[in-house]
Amino acid sequence: MVAVAVPLLTAGERAESRRLVESHDLTFEDGCDEVVGVYDAGRLVATGARGGYVLKMFAIEASYQGGDVLGELATSLIAGGRRAGHDTLFVFTRPEHAASFASCHFRLLATSGAVTLLEYGPGLEEYLRTRRHLRREGRNGAVVVNGNPFTRGHLHLVETAARLVSTLYLFVVREDRSVFPFDVRLGLAQDATRHLSNVVVLDTSRYAVSAGTFPSYFLRKNDDKARLQMRLDVRLFGERLAPAFGITERFVGHEPYCETTAEYNRAMAEVLPQCGIGLTEIPRLEADGRPISATTVRAALAAGNLAAVTGLVPPATMVFLESEAGRGIASRLQSESMAAP
Amino acid sequence: MNITTKASAGTMQSSDLMVHVEPADGLEIEIESTVKKQFEHLIRARIEATLQRNSVTRARVKVTDRGALDYAIEARVEAALRRAAEV
Repeated sequence: MVAVAVPLLTAGERAESRRLVESHDLTFEDGCDEVVGVYDAGRLVATGARGGYVLKMFAIEASYQGGDVLGELATSLIAGGRRAGHDTLFVFTRPEHAASFASCHFRLLATSGAVTLLEYGPGLEEYLRTRRHLRREGRNGAVVVNGNPFTRGHLHLVETAARLVSTLYLFVVREDRSVFPFDVRLGLAQDATRHLSNVVVLDTSRYAVSAGTFPSYFLRKNDDKARLQMRLDVRLFGERLAPAFGITERFVGHEPYCETTAEYNRAMAEVLPQCGIGLTEIPRLEADGRPISATTVRAALAAGNLAAVTGLVPPATMVFLESEAGRGIASRLQSESMAAP
Repeated sequence: MNITTKASAGTMQSSDLMVHVEPADGLEIEIESTVKKQFEHLIRARIEATLQRNSVTRARVKVTDRGALDYAIEARVEAALRRAAEV
């Protein structure tokens, strides 16, 4: 059989793909950018899909496995991904399938329990190569923040951690799923920490908490899938990012409210020591007897109460919030909160 | 030939290769191959010859090979170059 992957476009073709995917004990997700398949004598024998830079839902009938069918699916999906502007593509799969993807030149990023993450393209190597100049000798630490927006709570965490290590890497999550865009979040983190000479601010690319490595974070669901992905994400940090920057300590804020973040802290406590990295939880900075959080800041902005924000954010964030761009974000938050039931 | 955009050619099938070409200041060639240990120097020589024949002096060429033969390497590299040069 000559394997040729073709796009599955009609509802009927997608239904065939769904049947094949589900027969492999996988869940078919709607809303993919592309679904492709390989037919033999009019019957769909293999399928795979792409959503953004993530390849998924590979299902190949048993008698067609081990041949070139996977290569054909991957070729087609990678070509589509590159046309859409993604040079590097992720695939989440089961550990037993990692070797098949590796033979198609996917590189292993991390494995945790029942999940393996691999990527095709320059990806992590390129990320580390272009940030090699940021590497500092010594006993280094890391803080990862979304900073949506950067608060005095974040600043307190960074200042406390920076006193305990030679260099502190402040990673800002690149994934743009937050109301404050990445450029703004990164800029505010840089401005707020400029007085700290041993803090290096950098982006996570997609190698920390992001939709690619950790989509359930954004879904706010606390099921097994979330647990698996959190552990995978922490392992990726512990095994790939931390060694590249000489990081031996990770610092987090104590999490009294958000169950997802608390669970993430538990995942770190469990996984990081296995990677030789210590975890330090730092009590949250409080204002008026309540821990400062970006959620509180956004709530105040949504309520149109800019004055309430003053004590919660560093000067850099306040300047931004008072700017035209900042007021634009506040009015978006306001209209969203009014639209909500 | 001037490389002005990103382009690819080839497949991930066994006995084939994928070639990704993009603009760069100098000439960079990266090779991943299932037979890298034995044949990297030959694959590289074939790529360099193809670049030279097309007068390409500035490009980044990334190849992921699964045991392709000489003529396949040449054809895939040339196809990727032509697409990237927007002739």
